[in-house]
Amino acid sequence: MSEQGARAFGFEGTWREYAPIAFTNLLLTIVTLGIYRFWATTRTRQYLWSRTRFIDEHLEWTGTGKELFIGFLLVLALFGLPFLFIQFGLQALLLQGYVGVAFSLGFVAFGWIFYLSGVALFRMLRYRLSRTFWHGIRGGSDDKGWGYGWSYVWKNFVGSFALYLLVPWAMISLWNERWSKMSFGPFEFSATASEREIFKRFLLFYLVPLVLIAGVVFAALFAAPSAMQASGGSEPPASFGIAILLTMLAVYVALPLIAVAFYAKYLRVAIGGLSLEGLDFHFDARTKDWFMLILGDIGLVIVTLGIGAIFLNYRHWKFFVTHLDATGEISLAQLTQSTTAAPGQGEGLADAFDMGAI
Amino acid sequence: MTQIGPDETIWHYDGSNATRHHPALSWNADGFSLHWDGGGSGPHRWSDLMPMTGTAGRSLYGLRGVSGWRLGFAGLPPEAFAVHLPLVARYGRWIDRMGLWRAVGLFGVVAVAVVFVVLRAPQWLAPLVPQSWENRLGDAMVGDFGGRLCETPRSAAALAKLQSQLGKDVPIRQIGIANIGIVNAVALPGGRILIFSDLISEAKSPDELAGVLAHEIGHVRHRDTLTALVRQLGLSVVLGGFSGDVGGTVNGLLAMSYSRDAERAADSYSIDALRGANISPLPTAAFFKKLGKLSGGDAIERSMSWMGSHPVSSEREKAFTASAVKGHAYRPSLSPAEWQALVNACAEDKDVAPPTKMLF
Repeated sequence: MSEQGARAFGFEGTWREYAPIAFTNLLLTIVTLGIYRFWATTRTRQYLWSRTRFIDEHLEWTGTGKELFIGFLLVLALFGLPFLFIQFGLQALLLQGYVGVAFSLGFVAFGWIFYLSGVALFRMLRYRLSRTFWHGIRGGSDDKGWGYGWSYVWKNFVGSFALYLLVPWAMISLWNERWSKMSFGPFEFSATASEREIFKRFLLFYLVPLVLIAGVVFAALFAAPSAMQASGGSEPPASFGIAILLTMLAVYVALPLIAVAFYAKYLRVAIGGLSLEGLDFHFDARTKDWFMLILGDIGLVIVTLGIGAIFLNYRHWKFFVTHLDATGEISLAQLTQSTTAAPGQGEGLADAFDMGAI
Repeated sequence: MTQIGPDETIWHYDGSNATRHHPALSWNADGFSLHWDGGGSGPHRWSDLMPMTGTAGRSLYGLRGVSGWRLGFAGLPPEAFAVHLPLVARYGRWIDRMGLWRAVGLFGVVAVAVVFVVLRAPQWLAPLVPQSWENRLGDAMVGDFGGRLCETPRSAAALAKLQSQLGKDVPIRQIGIANIGIVNAVALPGGRILIFSDLISEAKSPDELAGVLAHEIGHVRHRDTLTALVRQLGLSVVLGGFSGDVGGTVNGLLAMSYSRDAERAADSYSIDALRGANISPLPTAAFFKKLGKLSGGDAIERSMSWMGSHPVSSEREKAFTASAVKGHAYRPSLSPAEWQALVNACAEDKDVAPPTKMLF
């Protein structure tokens, strides 16, 4: 529906308009010792969604703070307390010398947390779609995500095979599995991204160790011996240390850059494979855009001595919407109300694992 | 019956499909209905209308019980219609009812009170916990310390002698030497005290060890470990509402071991115990002098001290020095042979696990 160059998605908010929401959220969160943050999240989303246009109508966020709060309490009761026990219990077991028991319990706990994070990712998406309305219609899923949790465990496990070369497959396959189970109105999403498109980008990660080894070999073979002879001592001189430092620095700068480049490609490919009935989605944020976004985030937080952090959600959502587009057509008359069960509570699990992005 | 529309500034979704309608509205005191070509909705009661929030200058209403039902106005609804409508929620129901600033004030006062109680209550609660509970808790947490305790019959006798001199009436259940490379000693829940092996190997004399040990005995006597545990538990509950990082940081800052008052009290217990046992406090003072140098000198330590839990080393050194009586004939806390038994405890104990770094 992007005829005449108009984009299907548009963001119409301004930071000035959002500022009163952000500051009162911060204030109320502080004076309630953090409890208000569920209502704060809801207000932020209400604002962001209502300023987001899709074709001819704005999105609408209908989730409530109470839902998120109840989700948080549920997680606290179901998982928080046992984990607290395991955390202190493990320490006690280790101190008392039951190393074997401690490690097997720790392994079980780790696996359980991992499984739950998968379930949480699924339910977070489901919750958000079920609370997002457009033209009076919402999304959702009939799946509860328990099966996705297992996929999450075994696919990530398999992804670590062969020097992690299967990670791109795991990521794309999980994305496709997750979105294929989601729907909007009567229509199911179709997710057909292919890992082949991100594989070359992923290989960049393997370049870094090679460069590192080359750097060290170079320093060892040429720089160090000649410098050592020059200084006539048996100890490696300062120049050798500097060479190592430079190599390390290159790694610390290069690795995050590669991660950004990979993630940019991943999201373009993953969203590019999404469609809903007659609509195809596209995402066009390139590495440079992500890089500027992150630099901007860092700059904003530093310049404002941390206060600017309350605008990060806003920035990220705006970035996301601005780069999102859709082409094709959707029939409004056929877009009937979703029959999926709306989840009763919010993103408790995802919240507990600190996975909520917006 | 009053009627407006239909026009472009009023729109409606019925929630069954995505088609947008531009209905005419008609209403009376009890309720309202919508009509458009080929359809309608209502009559509905006013009380079933729900204001939807955050809608960019548009006014949007939902209908109780019908998911996706929307009635929208560009700008505000016509006044004659609007008088029947509920107010838009803003911060949340409680806060809207009170007003933002009154709510902030009220929540703020409650928050300060809660934090104050959580920080203070452990001191009132800890003495009420039966000693046997604390002992069981301590056993569960620490046990036999994974076989890292160094003990020979002679070292045990030397420690028993120190204990009888410095803490006769204190419910100490164990004083152990742990084969761990730290220059320190700790009191643990359940009346246990651990001396880390490097404290002994670095000490110049048994009297220096006696001063530090007496300080830990002071903690046991005042049940400071239990107080700290209760406080940490309370803080993690209260600050649970913040997301992971913030709560953890604040918790760490506030819960940091014992309060400074507790440290002063333990110091003054140590001074009294040394005096009672006729042991010179000067070696302990020297130990604090060494400690002060290690942590970067007086100025640095003083500037950091607002966040530290221990009193500044130089103050502690002064307190111990001041308690020394000039020309008084002190006697050593241990004989040279007993002291050697402690120094060699880890080397002579054949079953002890090899030295380790601390796990926590």
